[in-house]
Amino acid sequence: MEWRDLEAEVVRCSRCGACQQVCPIFRELGTEASATRGKIGLIRSAIHGWVSETEGLSERMSLCLACKACTANCPSGVQGDQLVLAARQRLVERRGLPLIKRLALRFFLKHKGIFRVGMKLGPLGQRLVLRRTPKGCLPRLPMGLDKRRLVPELASRSLRERYPEVLEAPMARGRVALFTGCMVNHVYPEIGVAAIEVLLKQGISVVIPPDQHCCGLPAFANGDTDTALELGRATLGVFQKYPVDAVLTLCGSCGGTLKQEYRHWFAPDPELAGRAKALSEKVQDFAQYLDGQGLLGSLGPLKGKVTYHDSCHLARGMGVTKEPRNLIRAIPGLVFQEMEAPARCCGAAGSFSLTHYDLTLKINGRKTEDILNSGADTVVTGCPGCIMQLKDGLHKYESKINVIHFAQLLRQAIMGNPIPPPMP
Amino acid sequence: MKPETRLALIHIVGPEHVLEAREDLLCYAYDASPIAMDPAHLPCMVLFPANAEEVSRIVGLANDAGFVIYPRGAGSNVSGGSIPDRDAVVMVLSRMNRILEIDQANMTADLEPGVITEQFQTAVEKLGLFYPPDPSSKAFSTMGGNVAECAGGPRGAKYGVTRDYVLALEVVMPTGEIIHTGARTMKSVAGLDLTRLMVGSEGTLGIITRITVRLLALPAAKKTLMAIFPDLEKPSQTVAKIFTAGMVPTTMELLDKTFINAIEDYRQIGLPREAEAILLIEVDGEAESVDRQADRIAEICHQQGATRTQVAKDAAEAEELWIARRSAFASVCRIKPNIIGEDATVPRAAIPQAVREVQAIAARHNLTIGVMGHAGDGNLHPSILADERDADEMRRVELAVEEIFRSFLALRGTLSGEHGIGRMKSRFLHLETGEAGLKVMRSIKRALDPNNILNPTIGLGA
Ligand SMILES: Cc1cc2nc3c(=O)[nH]c(=O)nc-3n(C[C@H](O)[C@H](O)[C@H](O)COP(=O)(O)OP(=O)(O)OC[C@H]3O[C@@H](n4cnc5c(N)ncnc54)[C@H](O)[C@@H]3O)c2cc1C
Repeated sequence: MEWRDLEAEVVRCSRCGACQQVCPIFRELGTEASATRGKIGLIRSAIHGWVSETEGLSERMSLCLACKACTANCPSGVQGDQLVLAARQRLVERRGLPLIKRLALRFFLKHKGIFRVGMKLGPLGQRLVLRRTPKGCLPRLPMGLDKRRLVPELASRSLRERYPEVLEAPMARGRVALFTGCMVNHVYPEIGVAAIEVLLKQGISVVIPPDQHCCGLPAFANGDTDTALELGRATLGVFQKYPVDAVLTLCGSCGGTLKQEYRHWFAPDPELAGRAKALSEKVQDFAQYLDGQGLLGSLGPLKGKVTYHDSCHLARGMGVTKEPRNLIRAIPGLVFQEMEAPARCCGAAGSFSLTHYDLTLKINGRKTEDILNSGADTVVTGCPGCIMQLKDGLHKYESKINVIHFAQLLRQAIMGNPIPPPMP
Repeated sequence: MKPETRLALIHIVGPEHVLEAREDLLCYAYDASPIAMDPAHLPCMVLFPANAEEVSRIVGLANDAGFVIYPRGAGSNVSGGSIPDRDAVVMVLSRMNRILEIDQANMTADLEPGVITEQFQTAVEKLGLFYPPDPSSKAFSTMGGNVAECAGGPRGAKYGVTRDYVLALEVVMPTGEIIHTGARTMKSVAGLDLTRLMVGSEGTLGIITRITVRLLALPAAKKTLMAIFPDLEKPSQTVAKIFTAGMVPTTMELLDKTFINAIEDYRQIGLPREAEAILLIEVDGEAESVDRQADRIAEICHQQGATRTQVAKDAAEAEELWIARRSAFASVCRIKPNIIGEDATVPRAAIPQAVREVQAIAARHNLTIGVMGHAGDGNLHPSILADERDADEMRRVELAVEEIFRSFLALRGTLSGEHGIGRMKSRFLHLETGEAGLKVMRSIKRALDPNNILNPTIGLGA
């Protein structure tokens, strides 16, 4: 890719500054380069050769959550997040990836076998370096992870290891394939379990393709396009094999990638583009699918006050904002209370929260305060990355507020059981 | 800049509030104006002072060491008013962003210049108070920038502009002294009116470090209505008719077909794509009076040839319309990448003639010029759509701009209603002020800023 390829999009930025009002990073740093207008100014500079491909340039491009708030808010319709991701790609092509990311993305993530073994050994290794607390683990050593970061334990049995490939619902009214996603599969299998139980109970058969892997977004967001495309191609191959009504995702970021990003990634290749389009048309978020199908049978009642956090990629990537709220409101007994700015990014943004922890803390602090001010006892959201982040934020405030995926809330309303604790 | 000067500056604001890397400096070489970034004119430093004291020390040092300063708020001005020259220091006031006091009994507020306009408005509205000036950039512009540009907005038709609300200022003068202008009272004639001199001075006469504004009571009710017209002439005629009939709408915004369609592409809120023009009108006041006003205005619109009028059914629908209106400028960038938005202003009754002139100029130079503006106060924003990569088109744009200025001045208008002279209109200023007027302005500048420290290339016919 050449910088010049970005010119047509770059010149559409009128530099009005509207991105500043919604950019979570600008809000904390207040420097021009932290908001999209500045990043676009830098890309413009790179196109004209006014700035070289320096470490400093990479650093500034890294200061973006890809939360899409600027894109959604841009009156000129400039795709700010896409421009920043493209700039990262170009910089990685020219400057390479830092060693730690290269290892993580190219070696670990790309090779399913190694990834799986790694994740298997993970819980063991994790216990050596992480200190267990009742809520999760805190790092014992710095090791690139900030020592204050609350990270969940890896599950000793992944979600996919717990189920056969096909789960038939009695008298099924629908059939879906489940894209488990890395975090649900390895970190929060209880979310996947809840989703599967709800679907079966609702008369929906579930297929869990065993050879699925990462969607590729973590690699793409870090500028490693080659790895991302390889993972994307594999995903297209796996899911086209199953005749299902829909492919469901439990994470806005995976969902957005399957639904929208693939269509951009594979646009140059007509054959793959066709497959990406076919998959895109099938992909739905879990909440979207269930809200569309309509819930059968009686729910709840449940007690308590619930608020909802919009994951960036679920809301602005997949356009899913109403459906989760409809499901929450359908549960009798629950009080639903919107928080201030529910669609503002929590600052997790994949590996961003690991590499820029101080900044992430500030962004998350604002989110945490909005949650606390809502007076809710439970935050519901649709993304395991957000869940990890929100838990970390609430932990810092020593709050007892529970953070769950809407699949878990529904399971509770349908089965009548309390929310099960994290799975070992 | 000498190394010891640089160190002294870093010492004043603290190293974490200084930017010096080329990657950052490039990001202060533009504002929201169409002036192209010029890498030969990067500032040498960007400073974020915390208080008037620091600002004063920096300005003092500028006089001693001989560097120039460009103050900056959000960099949202559209006249090139915060684009620095070579070896300059850019001083960003955004860290000074506290609302210091809201005095409910006296209905005044004190705030620092970095407060974002809309955040200030929200804060006073929670207390039932009202700060009317509402530039379309209010969600990201700073109050300091608003005062420096004397920003206006749609509500200007009824409530006036920033100038009408500023009671007092704390200003760091170009020589470094800190002065306090005006008074906190509703009237004051003690000495020359330095507050008025500073408001709209575009950062050339002093750096504003504290602002005292007067507030109004928040109107109990408001209502938004849209009148749809089959041509551009009829709504232009309607504007003055509404005022002479004794109605004072809060806002009266004119949008032509180009803008209607661009906004609709952006937000899909159901604007009438088939219309040639619309007037967006808001009225406020007591609950009973807004209905009466809206009815009467709708009646006048129909008499003037509106094909349809439509009242927003609730506050949410009205807000949608106003968000759409605020996004007008940027949304036309969907059509062509660059927009040269003028803000020459004419007396209300001259609007129809002004619109005809703009259409003739567009035809003469083969350009697309959208017409939009705060028609209620005669402030039109003829917006030329262009592509910076097309040199011939850009040349025609320059010709058109000059013709617009000359024709609006001939209609007894002004070069700029609210956007300021900045760099863009500096060379035309004499057309309006005359040489003698310009000379007076320059001598004021020289008297206050003998070393030409503040915004030396901005405004004042430079
Ligand atoms: C989409 C869009 C819509 C707009 N709509 C309107 C509108 O409806 N009405 C309107 O009036 N304007 C409008 N503007 C123009 C602009 O937003 C205003 O001029 C605003 O007041 C600028 O504020 P700022 O904080 O961005 O100041 P900047 O652009 O940073 O600075 C503006 C000028 O003020 C000086 N300055 C800034 N802060 C200080 C200070 N503390 N002391 C002294 N000098 C200072 C700068 O040197 C510069 O000359 C619009 C702009 C955009 C992009």
